[in-house]
Amino acid sequence: MDLMTRLQNVDSRVIYVILLIALSLPLLFPMGIPMQVDPMVRAVYDIIEGLDPETDKVLLSMDYSPGAGLDAEVSPVAVVEHLTQRGIKWVAISFGTPDGPMMTNRIIDSLEQRGYEYGKDFANLGYMAGEENAIRLFALDCLSVPTDVRGNRTADLPVMQGIKNVKDFAFVMQFSSSGPEMWIRQVVDPMGVPFATGTVTVSVPAIIPYYHSGQVKGIMGGVSSAAQYELLCNNPGRGASLMDAQSMGHLIIILFIVLGNIGYFMTKDKKQSAGS
Amino acid sequence: MRKEAPLLITFVVALIVMLSQVTTGNVPGLGISMPVLFERYISPWMTVVSAFSLCLASVNLIVIHSRNVSRKQPEWIYSLILLGSLVLYGAWCTYVQINPDNAAAAATYSLLYNNILSPLMTGQWACLAFYVASASYRAFRARNLEATVLLVSAILVMLGATPVGGVIWSKFPVIQRWLIDVPNMTGQRALLIGAAIGSFVACLRTMLGIERSHLGIGGGS
Repeated sequence: MDLMTRLQNVDSRVIYVILLIALSLPLLFPMGIPMQVDPMVRAVYDIIEGLDPETDKVLLSMDYSPGAGLDAEVSPVAVVEHLTQRGIKWVAISFGTPDGPMMTNRIIDSLEQRGYEYGKDFANLGYMAGEENAIRLFALDCLSVPTDVRGNRTADLPVMQGIKNVKDFAFVMQFSSSGPEMWIRQVVDPMGVPFATGTVTVSVPAIIPYYHSGQVKGIMGGVSSAAQYELLCNNPGRGASLMDAQSMGHLIIILFIVLGNIGYFMTKDKKQSAGS
Repeated sequence: MRKEAPLLITFVVALIVMLSQVTTGNVPGLGISMPVLFERYISPWMTVVSAFSLCLASVNLIVIHSRNVSRKQPEWIYSLILLGSLVLYGAWCTYVQINPDNAAAAATYSLLYNNILSPLMTGQWACLAFYVASASYRAFRARNLEATVLLVSAILVMLGATPVGGVIWSKFPVIQRWLIDVPNMTGQRALLIGAAIGSFVACLRTMLGIERSHLGIGGGS
């Protein structure tokens, strides 16, 4: 087998090993490649910067599971960190997956270890079954969830004081591994609540029309958006640390695609000249 | 009656949902509007049905995998592990929900979730990176014009989406942004509108009883 044919048939295991090395090295030896901030990410940052910690509260719909990997998990951590820095109170609830409350608990555990108070600064209302209908039900009556994940009465939580329906939240953000269509249909359009979404990178292209129509005020797409957000907050965290690895991973994939095509064209030319 | 009753319920409920979006006045004789009728009486039922469907899914899993185990079918050991995990998680979570003050039980449940289930699921997602790398290497060949356009777009988007692309050439992020904002958005909008019209037609067929497969009594006419 000549070199050009080999270029087209590189063993998958070789690709896996090279990719693993390309992903691992930047994690061990960070390069700090400079990043540009996407306007969709800056929009989320600007909304939260514009909130008043004294009066405004934020609702987070945590609709992702560990199955969506770090791509879904890093953005909510970055946003919650920003809310915490600014002293803005927030409430989390899940409609998309029963895993949502567990994902929220992870964030809450880290905040409680740093002295923030559950119930006063934030709360986790758990999972509400019914997806789109549940969103509508909660939007019209936020006390339709009788208790939070710790068994406290929702109406008694200090963070829920003054909250009757979703319009009482200054900003709503959904984190999921899919799209925000249900929120747009049931809350954003009929109730006019400012809304942004965080999702995995592959889902961003499908959400773009809602961003340009103004229904979604900002989009955070995966690890790269989280890294940019951390940069805006001057608080580099997990997202920023993963970006060098992502860059190297993309370069390796592009390199193999280019090599495969070089091999394809060279052998194609040979076959054509042999045939003529 | 086995056919007519579900069809009648479907029609009436669908009619209320549709009218709740376009009417505001009170329904004669009821004293409440369609939106209120829907939100107060129809919508909560969906939550009940969804919660019930979760139970149904669990029962279905138990039935299928219990059968696998009892008949010692191939790979029955995995069915046994699934049943064990289901019962352990279900029982533990129920206990935590009933006894929210028991911090030790909640902490142990989180420990199981964060250290067994979560790494397994995250690992599965991470493996995709390797499959995607191998699959794109084999699939992205410039065999014709369409494949070449796809290939070039993919490379430009990959370069523009990562910081290293901007370092190589500052225009990569600009080109990526344009590809996402213009050709992508045009296609996505067309898909969304097409899917919405398709959904409406499917709903109308269900509402009018033309589509009956969801009731288990055969397809459309």
